[in-house]
Amino acid sequence: MNVTLVFATLRQRFTSPLRLVILLLLGWMPMLQILLAPRIGFAALGDCYFLTLTLAAGMIGQDLSSGTLQLLLARPVTRAQYVFSRWGAVAAGTFLIVVLQALCAASLMLARGAPVPWGQAALYLGNSALLALGLAAVMALFSSLASGIADLGLLFLAFLSAQVLEKVGMFKSWDWLARGAGELLRMLKPELDLASLVHGGQVPWPAVVAYLSTVTLCLALAVVVMNRRELSYASSGN
Amino acid sequence: MPLPATDVPAAGPPPRTGSPRRDPMLLLVVAVVLLVLRAVLGLREAPPQATPGPLSGPDVVHWRTLEAGLAETRASGRPILYDFTAEWCPPCRMMQREIFADPRAAAEIESRFVPVRVLDRQREEGRNARWVDSLQARYRVNAFPTLVVARVDGRESSRLEGFMGRDFTLGQLRGTGVNLRWGMTGQAPPDSR
Repeated sequence: MNVTLVFATLRQRFTSPLRLVILLLLGWMPMLQILLAPRIGFAALGDCYFLTLTLAAGMIGQDLSSGTLQLLLARPVTRAQYVFSRWGAVAAGTFLIVVLQALCAASLMLARGAPVPWGQAALYLGNSALLALGLAAVMALFSSLASGIADLGLLFLAFLSAQVLEKVGMFKSWDWLARGAGELLRMLKPELDLASLVHGGQVPWPAVVAYLSTVTLCLALAVVVMNRRELSYASSGN
Repeated sequence: MPLPATDVPAAGPPPRTGSPRRDPMLLLVVAVVLLVLRAVLGLREAPPQATPGPLSGPDVVHWRTLEAGLAETRASGRPILYDFTAEWCPPCRMMQREIFADPRAAAEIESRFVPVRVLDRQREEGRNARWVDSLQARYRVNAFPTLVVARVDGRESSRLEGFMGRDFTLGQLRGTGVNLRWGMTGQAPPDSR
């Protein structure tokens, strides 16, 4: 990972006006719920799926379509470093927002005289970090395949296909199809629930392996795709 | 937003390897190994439970299995109260602690409804039993906890998503029970506490 690239990506993501508006909307809405019912705790914040998507959309594809990537790779940076830096920056940016959200939520709870469930806050932060790292890896793969923000379209298409296949599998009683589609759905939202680890006291190995497998596979494939991509200054970006 | 050309960073020290396009072989190997392990663990996984497991923690509601609940609702005419819940969900635990673990609230629920718990195991086991998925799809459950009151014919009468506190939840359930029992819609329910 290249620290300079990470900071450049963070600056690029957080100076986009449209992204900032979406992030503000996504971050503000749960605060209203906490304001009305402070005892609901950090559960009102939900997960950081859409926050991550907002920061991740076009994380590589926009550099491809704008021609920035050609300039960037003229520097002594490997393509793997580029992909890992983008991934790390998106995950770190999401986690930064999540921490801010949690601090705001805790302040609101204190202001309304409700107890702050600090244990729940720690779980929320841990789960969010894992989801951000996982989803950023998935988006890195989709973004390496498509220019602009078409990665969002690919994600939606994959999600829709998996849902349809799962329903068909259930309707036809084809267990293999339903399970395969279920696995695909899990890959599209890679998360690991730390609560089951803390409360259950046992490591959910299938879930841990599934999560790690998704993250490593998506990152490795993203690098492979980028390594095979031919870039030229005359390219239209595809 | 594309990275402006002026923002292209001077990217630190040069890479140690000769080729900027070297494939991450170690990462690929790890990914493949994990993928194989995932498949093996998935195949060895036990099939999902056919009956709902209890949420951890105290609970004094006598939850029926789906089959028993359907039979009881047909016999008694009382609507079914589906509790769509999950172990990992903090508001579900809060609802359980404040409502389902309270003997008075539990007795009131059982007098009005036939309670059936639908426990989601997607996160823990990767998939749910078919009847759980089927009920979630039928009643369009997108969040936990969700309480759905269904008439004897299975049609949804009302729903409550999320946990907004004990009094609010019980108040809503009382209103639903009265409406269903006497078919009075849009009428303020009497407080039966």
